[in-house]
Order: sequence, then structure tokens, then C-alpha cells
Amino acid sequence: MKMYFASFQDLLTMDGHGIYVWSTVIVTLLIMIWLLVAPILSRRALLKEVARDILRERARQTSPTNTQGES
Amino acid sequence: MSWQWFHRLGSPRWFYHNSARWLAWLCPIAAAVVLGGLVWGLAIAPEDAKQGNSFRIIYLHVPASFLALAGYYIMAIAGAVGLIWKMKLSYMVMKSAAPIGAALTFIALFSGAIWGKPTWGTYWVWDARITSMLILLFLYLGVMALQYAYHSIDAASKAGAILGLVGTVNIPIIYKSVDWWFTLHQPATIKFTSAPSMHPDMFQPLLVMIVGFYLFYAVALILHTRSEILRRERKTSWVRELLNEKNQDVADKKVGKS
Repeated sequence: MKMYFASFQDLLTMDGHGIYVWSTVIVTLLIMIWLLVAPILSRRALLKEVARDILRERARQTSPTNTQGES
Repeated sequence: MSWQWFHRLGSPRWFYHNSARWLAWLCPIAAAVVLGGLVWGLAIAPEDAKQGNSFRIIYLHVPASFLALAGYYIMAIAGAVGLIWKMKLSYMVMKSAAPIGAALTFIALFSGAIWGKPTWGTYWVWDARITSMLILLFLYLGVMALQYAYHSIDAASKAGAILGLVGTVNIPIIYKSVDWWFTLHQPATIKFTSAPSMHPDMFQPLLVMIVGFYLFYAVALILHTRSEILRRERKTSWVRELLNEKNQDVADKKVGKS
């Protein structure tokens, strides 16, 4: 297991093909990361939403100005 | 004969609880295999005698294309299971598979276009393989669009499942396109029936990347499905209990600290 290229510089330029290879790598990795981050963020937002709903309901139940409770 | 496992598999709650455990070991393995395979393919594998270093795009192009197709099977089968057994979780998996498949198809097309420039001298041709992959992208986008086109989740799921099933016609066309209309895209590098047309030093990292993309796909699908479960079940009592438990944990920790 040895690097095929003589230097790090060669790895970046890849004899003129570096721009093609590395642009593909960067775009692909960004899309893959987005595929993982997007559902994590939306799950978090949903959990927050449910927590807010629970708190709101609790406040309504315990509040003295509760009109629903009086009727 | 017990069908309990089948019903449990169809329970969003069961899936949500257990998938967290699966992710805990699946995530690190997927990351290690993908990054390991990428370093191997980009920096260690020898260059191609004809194409030079541009061939290294294969380490992303082929695995992404593999999963773009395999993901379509998963989406279509999940839709079919939903139609036949009315399994809610199955529809959630189908909806989750659509954006992941679309993104992977886009990666396959994009990496292919970039690879085409130094190899064929053009970013795009209306070659049979490329055109049928573009149709695959539109099928994924169509299933995604249908999920938002209906007020009723049930109707949206059914419509998505039917489009997904009809679209499977495209899959054998994609596979066979390089043989039926041999124009510019090269024939398959990997075949189950014969030895690969690649040197082992180049082929081994490709295999690692394909395995890595399968693992990545599993992680992405589980994450999307979990978020979809929460979206559809957020009014149910088990989600509320889940949050109450979590709040209790946080509260206990706070009390413990002070």
C-alpha cells in the first residue's frame, strides 16, 4: 500500500486530470453529506415541534384562565 | 408459523426504536469503508494505460450508478408491499428512497458528464445509457412530486407506488442499453457471468467503494425513514411518550448535576 503519485502535488494535478477528478469528488461528497444531514435536521425540527405542542397543552390544562375547563 | 416478525417490521414505532441501534454501528462502518475505498482508488490504485488519471472517476461513478438502480428496486418493492399489504412503514420507506435515489442518479450523471469531457471530448451525448439514466432521474423526481401533489397521504403513497412500479420497465433498458445500442458508453465493467475486465489493483478498490455505497445507502435510507416516521406519527401517543421519556432523562440529569 503505497501512494501511486510521487508527491502530494502530483496527486492534486493528476497530470491535468485533477480538475475533473477532484471536482467530481467534491460534488459527490457534498451531495452525500447533504443526504445524511437533511433528515437529521428535519427530525430535530419535528421533535422540537412535538415538544412545543406538549408544553402548550400542559399550559392550557393547568392555566386558571382555562375556558375549556370551566365549561 | 408465526407472522409476528412481519407485523413488527411493519410497525413504524418498532422500526424507530430499533433503527437507532442499527445506526450506531452502521454509520462508522459505512464511513470507514467509503473513505478507505476513496483513498485507495484516488491515491493508491495505478492509473489507466489509455485514460490516464481521469479513470479514477469510476470509483464514484460506478458505485453511484449501482445504487441509483438498486435504490429504484427498493423504492418500487416498498411501494408494491405498501399496495398489497397496506403497510404504512413500507410507504414511508418508498417516500424516503425517492430523494436518495434521485441524488445518486444525479451523481451518476454528473460524474459521467465530467468523465466524458477528457475521455470522449464532450460532457453530454444522447447515448442510450445516458438517456435512460436521465429518465430514471425523472422517475425519481416524479415519485417525489406525487408525494406532495395530494392532500391525502394515502392517495399520494398509492400514486407514488404505481408510478414506481410502472417505471421499473426502464431498469432492464438501462442495463441492456450498452449492448442493444452500442454507441459511446462503454459496456459493463463488472458482470456476474465473467471475470472483470479490469486489473485487480484497480478492481479491488472499486469493489470496496460499491460495498461502501451500499452501506451509505442503508444509513441514508434509515435516517430518512426515521424522520418520515416522526413526521407522519407526530400526533400519536408513542411519539409523545418518547418525548416525555427524553424530557424526563434531561430533567434527571439536571437534578443529578446540581
